[in-house]
Order: sequence, then structure tokens, then C-alpha cells
Amino acid sequence: MTGRSFDLGRGLFLALVTLVYAFLLTPLVIVVIASFNSGEYLTFPPEGFSLRWYEKFFNSQSFMNSLWFSLKLALICTVVSCLLGTMVALYTVRFATRWREQLRLFVLMPLLLPEILTAIALLFFYYNAEDVMAAVGFEGFRGLFRNSFIGLLIGHVLVTLPFVFLSISASLYNFDRSLEEAARSLGADRYTTFRRITLPIIKPGIISGALFCFIISFDLFNISLLLKGIGIATLPIQLFDYVRWDFDPTAAAVSTISIIVTVIALVVAQRLVGLRSLRF
Amino acid sequence: MADPAVSETVNRPLADPRKPHATFLLILPTLGILIAFLLFPYLNMIVMSFRTPSTSDVFAPGYTIGNYLEILFDEDFYYLEILLNTLLLGAMTTAICLLLGFPVAYHLARSRSRVTTLLYAFVLSPLLVGVVVRCYGWIIILANNEGLINATLRDLGLVETFLPLMYNMTGVTIGLVHIFLPFMILPLTGAIQSIDPALEEAARSLGASRLTSILRVVLPLSLPGIQAGTILVFVLTISSYVIPVLLGGFNVVIMPTLVVQQLLDAMLWPFGAALAFVLALAGTIVVWIYLLLTNRLMRGVAR
Repeated sequence: MTGRSFDLGRGLFLALVTLVYAFLLTPLVIVVIASFNSGEYLTFPPEGFSLRWYEKFFNSQSFMNSLWFSLKLALICTVVSCLLGTMVALYTVRFATRWREQLRLFVLMPLLLPEILTAIALLFFYYNAEDVMAAVGFEGFRGLFRNSFIGLLIGHVLVTLPFVFLSISASLYNFDRSLEEAARSLGADRYTTFRRITLPIIKPGIISGALFCFIISFDLFNISLLLKGIGIATLPIQLFDYVRWDFDPTAAAVSTISIIVTVIALVVAQRLVGLRSLRF
Repeated sequence: MADPAVSETVNRPLADPRKPHATFLLILPTLGILIAFLLFPYLNMIVMSFRTPSTSDVFAPGYTIGNYLEILFDEDFYYLEILLNTLLLGAMTTAICLLLGFPVAYHLARSRSRVTTLLYAFVLSPLLVGVVVRCYGWIIILANNEGLINATLRDLGLVETFLPLMYNMTGVTIGLVHIFLPFMILPLTGAIQSIDPALEEAARSLGASRLTSILRVVLPLSLPGIQAGTILVFVLTISSYVIPVLLGGFNVVIMPTLVVQQLLDAMLWPFGAALAFVLALAGTIVVWIYLLLTNRLMRGVAR
């Protein structure tokens, strides 16, 4: 093989790889550019800098409502998922003996099942459960889950729990148990040991899990589409409805803000634990 | 992971012998939620697919297998054709993702430069941004009249009307490949990283070209990663809803869009449930056959 043909092959290879990276990044870059472009449509070259689409976004009641709704939902979902995830991870790594693998698989199940199927199953279930409960004389159930915030929250928790669980389990596996034993032998009770020793050590795992949980919940689509109540919409749903009929760059401003929310979440995590502790 | 025997002796002093099941409380809430809101709903969905359809309500009392019969024995094979299109779209997207993803994964796995972390971030970045946002990015680029590509081509006088880039299979495939490519690259990178570079060097020193050493050494040894990535992308593709709706419009009908339309617009819940199960079953069968074939291939490599 001659040196020249070798270089040609390597050049082609690098060109292809670069093109794929460009392919991955282009839509995101384009969205950000379009949001600052003054024209109705993005042309090349862009027409000029303008913040009018952001102005339109901040003046749009429906977009602002859905932004706050999404942030609230993602925040509550993160708290719930992290609490449950920490408990389950502690149990499966520390205490489970016989059913450990089955339990892990069960918790990871929502990740393995297509999200749209889970959404459909919950849609039917909320409806049917109401009838069943009403039939046995329990009317308080009506409206509790169907098209309600709690119903939507449960869907979000189901989908995000596996990510939190994986992240916290990983930090528990790399854990020096002798630290806990030392605390115990020095007279600390189990609760104090957990609070003063275990929790600080698995904190990076919890934070990176929480971060993923927040981002995934904030962007979740299928579950929200099928379970949302009448008149309430998360930001992705509102954006979806908008871009189906209207291409104006307000959607680009919304998208850019949603990208910024993600970046802020990443920066916060970076400050707290360092991104290197992110586990997949 | 710790040696099980060791971790068992370490676990013992912490567990209270008088209350052996006290720790069980840790998983009780999650188990409750998973049984009530995952297991029951899925069982309920199976039942729903056998309910009688109704025009006045989402379903009528009574049970039937008519929903499945309609899907399988429709006169024009309308539903089976859509199922086949969905599976073909899945296969095509998976193949393109593998073709584009393998070089990137190889580059990532073998790169030792400082920019590798940045490149990882590039691969991951689409995952952290919502699917609607990413689709909207493609809409801006591909839109028929005022999209970036078409408007630019028209300004340059290269086309008279527009190139049909969106609201067809082309647009949907571009969107699907873009959104699911990271799911191919990540497992592939892991698989290639675990292959000893010395094997490639050996092949090269015995006279194989770089390309040959990749095709004959790296590719067969990365089959487990290829298997994981292809299955992941295939399953995600055949169950994706947002991308076909936004980039395909009304012109592209695949199973997930049909199912959601049956549920939310036509309000035919039993039929929608049956369609969803036919898709899930067909997908499972395809993945199962694929697993059998690729496992045989992998055993061949091991020998």
C-alpha cells in the first residue's frame, strides 16, 4: 500500500465522520440562529438580528403557561423519582438477596417498553379504573387520575425512575462499606449513619440522576400527549401543536429557551458534582 | 462488583435480625406504583383490545376478536400494508444509522486526543434536547416552500418550484436517522473500545490494508455492539410518533400515527389497542428472528 492511497482513505474517513457530526448538530444550531433572525423565514444569509420572536413568546399566554407547567411538572417528578429511586437502589444493592435481578428488571421495565405503549396503557387504565372503583361504591376516585396532574405525574415518574435508579445504583456499587461500619461501631444509629455517611457519598449519583430525570421529564412527549388534561399542555405539546400549523420563528424562540433550560440544568450539575460523574 | 460472599457477610451486621423484612419498606412504594400503574395498565390494555367497539362511547360492553380479524383480514390489506411499511421504515433507518454510526463510533473509540470529550458531547447533545425541538430544526431546513434549502436553491435559480424534502418518506427518514443515531453510536463505541487495538495492528503487519483490517477484524468483533444498537434503533423507530407526524404530515401513515389517530380522533379505543398489540407483536417477532440470526453469526466469529 502506498502512502498516498493510505492518506486518501484516511481523509475520506475523517470527512465522513465530520459530516456526521455536522448532521447531528445542524438542526440545533439552525433553531438557535432562526430564533434571532428578524425575517419570517430563515434564508441564507440571515436577514438580521432581532429579538421580536422572544418578545412574541413572552407575550404569549399559552406558551408562558405551558413553560411554567412543564417546569413545575419536571421539578415535582424529579423529587418523587429521586426519593423512590434512592430507596429502591439502596434495597437492590444492599439488602436484596433472592429476587435482586428480577427486581432490577421490573424497575427498568418502563425503559424497555416503548413509551407510547405505556402512555396508551395508562390512558385506558385511568378510564377503566374509575368505572371499577365507582362500581364498588368508591366515587372519590373519579377525576383523580384521568386528565389530571397526578395522572400525568405518575406517567412521568414511571418513565424517569429507571434513569435515576441506574445512576444511584452505580454510585452504590462503588461504595466502601467499611465507612458505614466504622460509623456504626462508633455508636451512630442506622439513620445517622445514612444521613452523615451514605448520603454524602452517593450524592453525585443522586444529582446526576436528578439532572437526567429533570431533562427527560421536561422533554417527554408521548406520555404528556395522551395523559394531559383538557386545557393544560406541557411545553413540548404546545410547541408540537404550534409547529404543525405555523412555521413562524416564535417556535424557534421556544426551542432555544428549552435548549437553554437543558444547558442550565447541565451547568448546575457541573457546579455541584462535575460532569464526569454523569453515568449512562 | 463486590464478591457476593464478601458482601453478604458485610451486609449481615447492618440488617436488624429481629425485623428481617424492615428493609422491604424501601421498595414497597415503588413496587406498589409499578404494579398499579404499569402491570395492571398493560393487562388492562390486552383486555381493551378484545372489547367491542362503539360509536357513542370509547368502547361498548362485551368482548370480541373482531378487532384483530379486521386488522389481519381487511379486504385491501390496508393495515397489514401499513405494518409492513412501518417495519421497512424501521429496517431502513436502522441500516442508515449503522452505516453512518460505525465510522463515528470507530473514530470515537480509537481517538486519544483531548477533543474526544467534546466529540462525545456532540453525540450526546441531541439526546438532551426534546424531540419536538429537533424536528422543528429539520422543518426550518427542509420545509417545501420557505425551507432553508429550498429558499436558497430558488434564490440561486437552481430550482423553479421546490424539492420535495418534507411531508414524505425522505423527510421522515432524515428525522428518524438524526434522532436515533446516538443510540447506535454509543453501544458501538463501547464495543469497539473493548477490542484490543493490537489485533488490528497484527492484521496490518500481516499485510492487510486499514480498510480490510477494519472489515475483517473490528467489524466481526464489534457484533455485540452492533446487535444492541440495531435493536435499540429499530424498536425506537417503529414506535416513534412525533417525527412521522411533524416531518411526514398526512402523507406518511405508519402504525404509531395510526394508533394515536384511532385513540384521540376516531375514539376507537379497542381497535387502537389491537393495532398497538399487532405492532408490538410484529416488532417482537422481527427482533427475535434477528437475534437468532445474529447470534449464529456471532458464534461463527467466536469459532
